Amino acid sequence: MLELRGLTRAYELGGERAGVFGVSLAVPKGCLAVLAGPSGSGKTTLLQLAGLLDAPDEGCVLLDGQEVSSLPEGERCNLRLRRLGFVFQAFNLVPVLSALENVMLPLQLQGVAEAEARRRAEASLDRVGLADRLHHRPGQLSGGQQQRTAIARALAPDPLLVLADEPTASLDHAHGGPLMDLMAELAAERGATFLVASHDPAVIARAHHVFRLADGKLVEGP
Amino acid sequence: MILARLALRNLLRQRRRTALTLMVVVAGFLALSLAGGFMAQTFQGLSDGAIRGGLGHLQVMPPEALEGEEAQSLEKALPDGEALAARLRQDPAVAEVLPRIQFMGLLSSGPRSVAFLGTAVDPALEPKHMACLDSLKDGAKTPGGAGSRWLSPDPAVREVILGAGLARSLGASVGSLLTLMSTTRDGALNAVDVEVAGLQDLGLKELNDRVLTVSLATAGQLLDAGPARSRLSIVLKRPQDTAAEQGRIQALLPGTSVKPWFELASFYRQVKLLYFAIFGFMGLVLFLVVLLATVNTLLMSVMERVREFGVLRAMGLQPGQLLSLLQWEGAFLGLLGSALGLAATLLLRAGLNALHLQMPAPPGTSHGYELNIHLVPGVYLAVAVGLQATIQLSALFPGLKAARLRIVEALRHV
Repeated sequence: MLELRGLTRAYELGGERAGVFGVSLAVPKGCLAVLAGPSGSGKTTLLQLAGLLDAPDEGCVLLDGQEVSSLPEGERCNLRLRRLGFVFQAFNLVPVLSALENVMLPLQLQGVAEAEARRRAEASLDRVGLADRLHHRPGQLSGGQQQRTAIARALAPDPLLVLADEPTASLDHAHGGPLMDLMAELAAERGATFLVASHDPAVIARAHHVFRLADGKLVEGP
Repeated sequence: MILARLALRNLLRQRRRTALTLMVVVAGFLALSLAGGFMAQTFQGLSDGAIRGGLGHLQVMPPEALEGEEAQSLEKALPDGEALAARLRQDPAVAEVLPRIQFMGLLSSGPRSVAFLGTAVDPALEPKHMACLDSLKDGAKTPGGAGSRWLSPDPAVREVILGAGLARSLGASVGSLLTLMSTTRDGALNAVDVEVAGLQDLGLKELNDRVLTVSLATAGQLLDAGPARSRLSIVLKRPQDTAAEQGRIQALLPGTSVKPWFELASFYRQVKLLYFAIFGFMGLVLFLVVLLATVNTLLMSVMERVREFGVLRAMGLQPGQLLSLLQWEGAFLGLLGSALGLAATLLLRAGLNALHLQMPAPPGTSHGYELNIHLVPGVYLAVAVGLQATIQLSALFPGLKAARLRIVEALRHV
């Protein structure tokens, strides 16, 4: 479903060359895959390339067999809106919108009618256990609730691929584990592919596939 | 509509900053619309003064009347002005035609003589259509108690209305007997004795020192004018049709020149230009202040939301949609600011007019006037549109800045 071929994206960081170099991997449909590795290993860079947020210096990204990384920005925007979902470490919900409105946002940007967007957003929030927090603003939700809202937002448009960058890093262990369980369930339930960047053992333990990165390259072993 | 809703929520997020920006917009609207109302009052006063001061809506004159020095004798006159006036009175668009003779000469009280500029009018028609009675000076009473009055309509009565300064320079007052001297159409010196019926204050010292008014009959005798008239002032039934009627009446009267009042009232045109220059500059400064205040607000708002914009872009928002988001924020600021500005303008206008404030006499004039700021919906609309355009322009720079953010850098922004 998702295939990265020889991806290279280099940049200068503190006078040293950093990024990812010649990474190739493939993630099947409905799978929860984890990019594991220490800080600075290139997990986030690779995730951003896979999520079409950045363009590779070399190599390409294939989504359902279609090369998408060289598409013009307008088309990449459209792909992100309709086929991809994002979950960030810092939740990144829009603070002036309620949980329900945050989840409705990508649907309304797609042009889904308000009533339909509301119905789907409510169902999505209900699925992540936040049916009683629909009208709460992000500031009125706990970290775990915000991250579940972010997952509901990412899943509401029924994406092919959800990219999550350190989704449990801002949560304590009591919330991180259940959140990953939820993601694993949703991957199986919806057939969506999850690619998660994390060095959290609780996340790695729940992964169907683990890709380990070190110094911007894929490495073998645990 | 999601972008509009998001924009409105963003404005409400920083209420104090939004309120401050709105205050700038409201102040700009208030200043410009009150200035517009004041200008409208001034222009209305000046146009009324010019039209009812003797110009009428249209003037018929010989084609050469405005060439070289302005005619102050019957050299440049309509030879059969009275017949022309009678013909024009039959026109359905014309309310009245007021023939006039302009002349000059010497006015003598015996020991002293002063040069004058005279106008001869129909004493019966003039007060019905012109403001000649308004300029009669109150309290200009002779020791016997006679006050200023208008000219007698009796053709046999020889009377004169004097500018207050002219009367002062001759030591004349109501009831004084004076001698008017001028030259006839044939160039012969002639004189008639006149009695001062009244004094007038035209608001301009230079005019008060020089002008006098007599009846057409008196001037006819002095100048041997016959049916010749210097000009015909036309009062239209529909003043708003002045420009259209000018062309039509001009076509009816070949061999004459028909001019609208606004081409002849040079003072009106000069004041209008001056006001446009002053208030135009003031408007420019105010628009600049609004522009800078709005740019500041929206730019700060963008800088605080870099990460949020990164998330929105990651979710698939197009750069153009981010630009639209900022434009929506500007649109709400402008609409709300103009609405509040309009309310403040109407309130302040009503308050100021209720105070009956007396304004000082404008430069070169001797009359003050009561402040009466006009209600000018057209100006309010123009100010609102101008402010809205300014704000939309000011939203462009922050919007472009937001749209050009690199997503990966925006997401890293702290």
